[in-house]
Amino acid sequence: MPGPTIPATSDGGSAALSRRSLLTLGTVGAATLGSVPLLSSCGSDEGSGGGGKTTVRVWTWYSEQQDEWPRLVSEFEAANPSITIENRVFGTPDQYLPALAAAVSGGDVPEIFAPHVRALTYGEAGISADLNAELGTDFLSDFFQSTIDEYTLDGKQYALGWMAQTFGIFYNPDLMSAAGVDGEPETWDDLIAAAQRINATGKSAVSLSANPGTSGLDFFLPLLAQVSDDPTFYLRLDQLDGVTYTDPVVVQSLELLKKLVDGGVFQPGVNGTSGDQASSLFFTEGAAMNFNGSWAPQNLVQNATPEFVQKYRVMKNPALTPGAQHYTANQAGAGLAVSATSRAKDAALEFIRFLYSPEQYVQTMNNSNSMPSTKSAATEVTNPILKQMTSWLLDGDGVPHIPFGNGSSEAGGPLAGIWDGSAEPSAVAAEMQTAVTNARG
Amino acid sequence: MSAQLLSGGAARRERVASGRLHRPETIAGYVFILPTVALFALFVGYPIVRAVYISLTSWSGFGDPVFTGLENYARMAADPVARAAFVRTLVFAAVTTVLQTLLPLGAAVLINSTWKRFGVVARTLLFIPGIVSFVVTGVVWRLVLDPNVGVVNRLLDSIGLETLSRTWLGEAQTALPTIVVVALWQGLGLNMLIFFAGLQGIDPTLYEAAETDGANAWQKFRYVTVPGLQVITTIVVSLNLINGFKAFDLIYVMTQGGPNHASEVMGTLLYGLAFGSTSGSVPQFGYASAMSIVVLLLCTAAVTVQLVLNRRAAR
Repeated sequence: MPGPTIPATSDGGSAALSRRSLLTLGTVGAATLGSVPLLSSCGSDEGSGGGGKTTVRVWTWYSEQQDEWPRLVSEFEAANPSITIENRVFGTPDQYLPALAAAVSGGDVPEIFAPHVRALTYGEAGISADLNAELGTDFLSDFFQSTIDEYTLDGKQYALGWMAQTFGIFYNPDLMSAAGVDGEPETWDDLIAAAQRINATGKSAVSLSANPGTSGLDFFLPLLAQVSDDPTFYLRLDQLDGVTYTDPVVVQSLELLKKLVDGGVFQPGVNGTSGDQASSLFFTEGAAMNFNGSWAPQNLVQNATPEFVQKYRVMKNPALTPGAQHYTANQAGAGLAVSATSRAKDAALEFIRFLYSPEQYVQTMNNSNSMPSTKSAATEVTNPILKQMTSWLLDGDGVPHIPFGNGSSEAGGPLAGIWDGSAEPSAVAAEMQTAVTNARG
Repeated sequence: MSAQLLSGGAARRERVASGRLHRPETIAGYVFILPTVALFALFVGYPIVRAVYISLTSWSGFGDPVFTGLENYARMAADPVARAAFVRTLVFAAVTTVLQTLLPLGAAVLINSTWKRFGVVARTLLFIPGIVSFVVTGVVWRLVLDPNVGVVNRLLDSIGLETLSRTWLGEAQTALPTIVVVALWQGLGLNMLIFFAGLQGIDPTLYEAAETDGANAWQKFRYVTVPGLQVITTIVVSLNLINGFKAFDLIYVMTQGGPNHASEVMGTLLYGLAFGSTSGSVPQFGYASAMSIVVLLLCTAAVTVQLVLNRRAAR
């Protein structure tokens, strides 16, 4: 016996469905929706593309090479027809890190990925491969030691530096001359004297970002090496390895920073200035100098006028005393790690070898105005500013500045009291120690 | 035939109203809601249950979580940064809720009466900020508030109020209040539109009767408009409370919780612990999940209050 009909149209026309049909449709629909995840997981074949090809996923936020990746991928795929590269460049670390964390949690790590500050943690957990074993010591010997050290633990190499980063003070020669500043300041006292002249012309001396607070650490942490004359001081502090933030070296470094702030070296409102704002203050000629990293040349090419790009220059961080070491922040925050467990690991390693092959790596770094992590590529840098900054590494001026340690980045918060002049160095040092300890849990 | 159907339909509606359905109808009902329930359970229910479990563990986002009981909650209670972020979250939610309810209500009433001739223009102008994403809003306002080249300080300087110029997002005293103002700028239009829609549902004869009884403008607002918008108001209040409790995007874009945690709320703090650089090389998913559960409880409380108030209003 047919069940009662429900009119499918308001006029009760001929398009009517029986309840049984509806029940059947509903059940099939629900079963289909519910089975989607199952079906999709059944179809998944990690590391393997269609047609017997191996797929290598590459995840980074390195937009500096956004015009280079397509060329690299296409040339590699042409030479390796059995490998497909799926390259994904996330906009910023903020967009990238949650995606990477989800991939790690789900056990489906991309074959090649930027490990950020978690390289060693992922390495210890067996997530990223030991590249020392996979690529050999000869391959690694060409990298700058600083870019090797940050990714090394117990003799294992868990990532490779992709873009090295070194900080310096970029300056506008016209504004310096207009203020009567001749030559580059050799010491911090020279910088304070120059700043007073520049401020008198209505311009800021050095533009710098401390929003977020970790940006301020880029400037502060090398001062620890200058005061202690020990380039490894921060590494020990980062790991709380027998050193704390209440150490006299930290307090003296904070006193030096306070002296610079009180001397009018930085623009007003450092705590409220982001990196892009500090940079734009420089290239719009509101500040004569800008403390920034080796990615700045590419940013200036993209954002400043061609005239400005032609005229700006860069100098080392001033030293504590004449003739002393000009320690400045250097490491390779942008690195590449390889998944230890992917079935496409060999293909991933092949792509890594291709990326770092001299002809590809030099071209990629030069075309993107980026600082290479290898010594051989460093000799072929064409951008004069980057060439100069790279030479500082060979001079031994580079020191660590990336807070890898658990909670270490929290030390940047209390620095706000120095930047805005509201706190004394000894109190800030104590607050830094408390903040780091508290964040470690 | 048609009469039969109508009569069948009326009988069915009666059964639905009385809660007495034939067994096939009950089964059909369950089948129809099954996809929604299944998807809700998969994408909302399971993550919540999972987050509760993770909050009871020490977990870095990989490997096996280590069960630690209520340790993360105890740590939160003792953590001065977390405690301050909790209080700040409550204050942010309370202040934005009050302002984002009263000001849009006032604007809607004015546009519906006094400013009626400018109604469409005023509604459009007020609503435009609401269609801009929080991220874009944050970036634009960060530029407007730039301590060196921002419009706000330049404006103050140009009218002789240079003593009021400051680093709006870089000073502990002004960072969060400034963000509240920006949040208000963005949220005012949408809330105003909700109230405006509610005002159209109030029977005009009530106003006419009130006028006949000699009620002035305030009395009409107090005794006709406010009761007429009771349900709408509870919805707006609870939405604002929930948005306040789970505040993240605007604050993260403008200050990342700084300077030195001065604008840190639960949302930004837990994000930094789980995904950001706060915990450096070792993500603290367990601790961050415990914070997210606290935010969830706050939001649940807000929804519960709304339901209770709506039920009272319905009576």
